[in-house]
Amino acid sequence: MVTSRVKVINKNGIHLRLAGELVKAASKFQSVITIAKDSQEVNAKSILGVAGLGAEYGSELVITVDGNDEDDALASLVSLIESSFFEGKQ
Amino acid sequence: MGNEEIEKKETMFHGIPAAHGIAFGEAFVVSTEDIPISVEKIPGDQVEEEIKRFEKALEETEAELQKLRKRLEHDMGEDHAKILDSHSMILADEVARDETVKWIKEKKVNAAYAFSTVIDRVLTTFDSIEDEYLKERGEDIRDVKRRVVRNLMGQKAEDVAHLRRKAIVVAKNLTPSDTATLNKKYVLAFVTDMGGRTSHAAIIARSQGLPAVVGIEGFCHKVKPHDRLIVDGITGHVVLHPTPETVRIYKEAQGRLLEMEKELLTLRDYPAVTLDGHTIELSGNVEIPGEVEEIISHGAKGIGLFRTEYFFITRKKLPSEEEQYRFYSDVVKRVSPDPVIVRTLDVGGDKIAQWAADTQEENPYMGWRGIRFTLSRKDIFRTQLRAVYRAAAHGNVRIMFPMITVMDEVRTAKGICEEVKADLRAERYQIGDNVEIGIMVETPSAVAIADKLAREVDFFSIGTNDLIQYTLAVDRGNSRISYLYNSLHPSILRLLRDTVIAGHKNGIWVGICGEMPGDVYGALVLIGLGLDEFSASSYLIPEIKKIIRSVTYDETRLLVRKALNMSTADEVKQHLDKFVTEKRPELKEFIPETLA
Repeated sequence: MVTSRVKVINKNGIHLRLAGELVKAASKFQSVITIAKDSQEVNAKSILGVAGLGAEYGSELVITVDGNDEDDALASLVSLIESSFFEGKQ
Repeated sequence: MGNEEIEKKETMFHGIPAAHGIAFGEAFVVSTEDIPISVEKIPGDQVEEEIKRFEKALEETEAELQKLRKRLEHDMGEDHAKILDSHSMILADEVARDETVKWIKEKKVNAAYAFSTVIDRVLTTFDSIEDEYLKERGEDIRDVKRRVVRNLMGQKAEDVAHLRRKAIVVAKNLTPSDTATLNKKYVLAFVTDMGGRTSHAAIIARSQGLPAVVGIEGFCHKVKPHDRLIVDGITGHVVLHPTPETVRIYKEAQGRLLEMEKELLTLRDYPAVTLDGHTIELSGNVEIPGEVEEIISHGAKGIGLFRTEYFFITRKKLPSEEEQYRFYSDVVKRVSPDPVIVRTLDVGGDKIAQWAADTQEENPYMGWRGIRFTLSRKDIFRTQLRAVYRAAAHGNVRIMFPMITVMDEVRTAKGICEEVKADLRAERYQIGDNVEIGIMVETPSAVAIADKLAREVDFFSIGTNDLIQYTLAVDRGNSRISYLYNSLHPSILRLLRDTVIAGHKNGIWVGICGEMPGDVYGALVLIGLGLDEFSASSYLIPEIKKIIRSVTYDETRLLVRKALNMSTADEVKQHLDKFVTEKRPELKEFIPETLA
């Protein structure tokens, strides 16, 4: 099991569209992935869960991954969030 | 009886006029209220059955979404249909699915109740969001919930699809999935609580030639199904329960309008030339491919302003080069051999691009918009230019940069165009050969250095709406000061004159793409100032043509020369009014107040 903290740097936070991006990225991996904000923890492969976190700008998320591709999964999700999803990467 | 009368009292509402025309009819109120769902206990032996029912409802909903997606794809293009992708993702959400099944099993409740409770929990987090855009995304989730619940309750089709009589569609807000469901042959007009001129309902209305008024807060709660309405898309008025007298007045206005349109359309195939032989190029403004036929059928030659923002702001992701290429070539082919002037992305100000505007600006009209935005996001700019140059291989394309204030912007943008062309050639793409490059002249600073700018570009297109707002320092949307917004202010006339002179001295043509030529005063002034091209919305084109064909260039030049020496907009207006009354009374019908 691996875990990492990451800060949301999108000004509007993680809204539905970005939640969808995140879910798509998470669903590529076999591992069980959760994202937590404050005391709320959700399945990273659920768009409603992720969007329902209400992760606003500046909030801190804890990503936890457990499974055989956990390192790749964690690296992929952290870089997605840290790059503010696609800014400059289109 | 007394109550009845009070309820049916004529009431006038005022909104934003979003699409031209007058319509009479009964209201069809699109229900956005949730269907009331009651808790029902499911006997233990029927739990499995209930879960199966739930799964079937999800499948039916997905099938419904795919059908909608197809229709949307047909109407608006494949790229647009992607709007429904997040609907499908929500529907496929395993957590919501598992959670619902768990509720059905453990609490032994009906699927509709279980599913809506699960979704409502998610929605409570959305309701606390202040940002309008984010809230709208909550609407997507609500939309999916409604669809599933409807299917569970055996209400086959969606409300909007039930429209089977001619009616005025009234809604809080119309989403693309709503308009895809609507059978448009029954729609007489649109009225929505939310939105502006660029909202989805407004654009659909304009492309279909239907009247629309948007932005009347709380309207859909004041109207009941079958209430009688008049929609005036010219002034933005909506009359609820009109009296016979009001109906008579509006019928007359509508009659005049239809008569005028019919007469004007007879001019469709005639050129826009003055009585003394001075030709003006008359072209149209376009946002989506569907509008191309509209402007051509109204007698425009070519597109003087192809706005590319709509394509960007209605999407969840930046459009790729291929998607843009397909979109632009579609438009280019439809007007070829007539020209298309593509304005590069003009986001900012009133057009918020979610993927870009992760910054809140205090003063967006003076902020990061137009060429300022694209030059700082060269990745987006290059992708767009590549797509435009490739599309240019299919017809006559010109490129135009918005919001120019300094020379460097023009030079840098042109440099990027050269690089893009060289890249495309190296990659063996077919590209347009003689793509002219021009700029929008819409800031006072651009006018002041127009003589210098003219040496760098092939044409000018004056954006009157912005030029007026920046020159007079007036926000048109601010009702306290909007009276100051006046296109006949002598300062505006002088700036227009300076721009035309600077352009012509340097051998380039000067056009205009704002609402100014849309009434007789504006048109007379612009003809007299020697503008070479007018570009306007489709519905304005016939009357502009009629005005051009009713006057001589010489008399308008004289008219303008005098106007340029006046000190107030009122004097200019009286001067123009006198001319129309005495010399060209047949143009009186185009005086803006006629219909009010």
